[in-house]
Amino acid sequence: MSYQSIEFIIFVLLVLLFYYTVGRKHQKLVLAVANLVFYAVAGLKYLPFMLITMVATFAAGKKMGAIYADADEQLKLCADNAEKKVVRAKAKKDAKRVLQLSMFITLIFLIVCKYSLFAVSNVNAVLAHFGAAQIPMFRMVLPLGISFYSFMALSYVLDIYWKRYKAEQNFINYAVYLAYFPHVVQGPIDRFNEFSKQLEQPVALDYKTITYGAQLALWGFFQKLVIADRLGILVDTVLADWASYTGGMLFFIIVVFSVQIYADFSGCIDIVTGVSEMLGIKLRKNFNHPYFSRTMAEFWRRWHISLQEWFKDYVYYPVSASAFMKKLKKSSKEKFGLRTSELAASCFPIFVVWCVTGIWHGAAWKFVLWGMFHAALLIGSQIFAPLFKKVPEVLKLNTETYGFRFFQIMRTFILCCIGRIFFRSDDFAMSVGIISKVIHNTNLPSITQTIEILGAVDVLVVVFAIILLLAVDIIQEKTSVRDLLAKENYITRWIVFFAILFIIILTGIYGPGYNASSFIYEQF
Amino acid sequence: MEQLLAMLKESYPLIDFENQKQLMTDGILDSIAVVAIIAAIEDMFDISVTMEYIQPDYFESVETMWEMIEELQ
Repeated sequence: MSYQSIEFIIFVLLVLLFYYTVGRKHQKLVLAVANLVFYAVAGLKYLPFMLITMVATFAAGKKMGAIYADADEQLKLCADNAEKKVVRAKAKKDAKRVLQLSMFITLIFLIVCKYSLFAVSNVNAVLAHFGAAQIPMFRMVLPLGISFYSFMALSYVLDIYWKRYKAEQNFINYAVYLAYFPHVVQGPIDRFNEFSKQLEQPVALDYKTITYGAQLALWGFFQKLVIADRLGILVDTVLADWASYTGGMLFFIIVVFSVQIYADFSGCIDIVTGVSEMLGIKLRKNFNHPYFSRTMAEFWRRWHISLQEWFKDYVYYPVSASAFMKKLKKSSKEKFGLRTSELAASCFPIFVVWCVTGIWHGAAWKFVLWGMFHAALLIGSQIFAPLFKKVPEVLKLNTETYGFRFFQIMRTFILCCIGRIFFRSDDFAMSVGIISKVIHNTNLPSITQTIEILGAVDVLVVVFAIILLLAVDIIQEKTSVRDLLAKENYITRWIVFFAILFIIILTGIYGPGYNASSFIYEQF
Repeated sequence: MEQLLAMLKESYPLIDFENQKQLMTDGILDSIAVVAIIAAIEDMFDISVTMEYIQPDYFESVETMWEMIEELQ
């Protein structure tokens, strides 16, 4: 049941009906049943994987909570600080064992289901080189949303281990969090402490909650069905036969793909955030108009925010605070000075984060390359930060003018597009081929070819839709479009609502049997 | 706390550490700055900042950073 399907809309309407009629006490149960139905419809075979992760991490949280509670009782009886230190160290050691076991169970499913084929095929390539026998390959089942719910489960056990909040005692609360149907497939990667607080507050049926949620979901459908799926036709057609197009056309297509993936992912997030808002539960923010970023670092604070924050909290900081990093900082300070030591402290964790970010997106070398590309940009910006700061000073450039800001935004967008070549290509050879063509065959992109593929009407529709998306994003940078709309009288509001609805119905791209193409991030 | 404030003002002269009370919430300090501040605090006060303390609440202001240092000493 895809988020953009008719079945999902009917499913949401039924959930809303039960949610607001069963009484506030039972709303949590309605969500639990809805999650189960949603996930089971996606495939019963996926269910055991999620249930095992769910039970293992919930039990681990409870066990760690009990270990810390026992330690707190013992601390009250301790006579001196030395004794307290021993109690704390023992509790930490016991909790660590539980944490490691739960992380192992969670990660083993993720690694085996998502990466075993990739690992075996690489080992086979090496074995073939030496003429050795091949390892048989099995295609594992890839449970729906495993990359997302596994990360949410990991954040929960790590937060309990680091005593950021107390362990949950109610299994239903934890089950609703992990399997919550609006965020289980493509995120946002929510945090348990923020999510569970909202579960404790039953939701009353409210006009604003429903209309604001519906408006956001509708805007998500517009981005997905009118823009992303239409651009997808152009991108897929050209890249399926990329060798016969000019470098200019290929770069244009990569720019188009950058718009497509934004409309696709941001559209999905708006749909699920809108649906969740209708249920009175706010999800984590996942996008903040990333293409208005002036630097790559800023771009990654605005794109897929919940994933970036996850990596920051559970990879970047732990690596930075690790004993290895402390040793590295100390030795580099002694040998090369303070500046090198500071650079090592900030750059090595960035490198680790981007290795993991790349491979998280998929079991393929192209994603590793894409990750390395971004690691190089971010590490480069750290190393050359003093130089980048000095250049405008020497040239006496005012960096706050609209012209300079526009230059920075375009520079960031183009760098992002270059990265997308690795991301979208089928393999490394295709990425190199496209880059080579872009450099050596710089003819302008062909409008005729674009019209031949999409048709003149569709080109006009998509241009109009992108202008509308850009306008809304520009307004959203300053204020909420939904708040602005709410200030208008009801006739204007309904005209806007129905206008967007009819645009989606009349110009949305629907595949055979009215099944729009799946979301790009669904595969991750 | 004076020592901590002096170090922060020297490293980040453009940030008003005396009056800013939401350094993380308002996005004034990013993750790279937090890691650099942790390294400086560890050197200056001879402590080890563990993961329990690496969370936004402890880096919102000079006062919260000092609170963390006192707990770790």
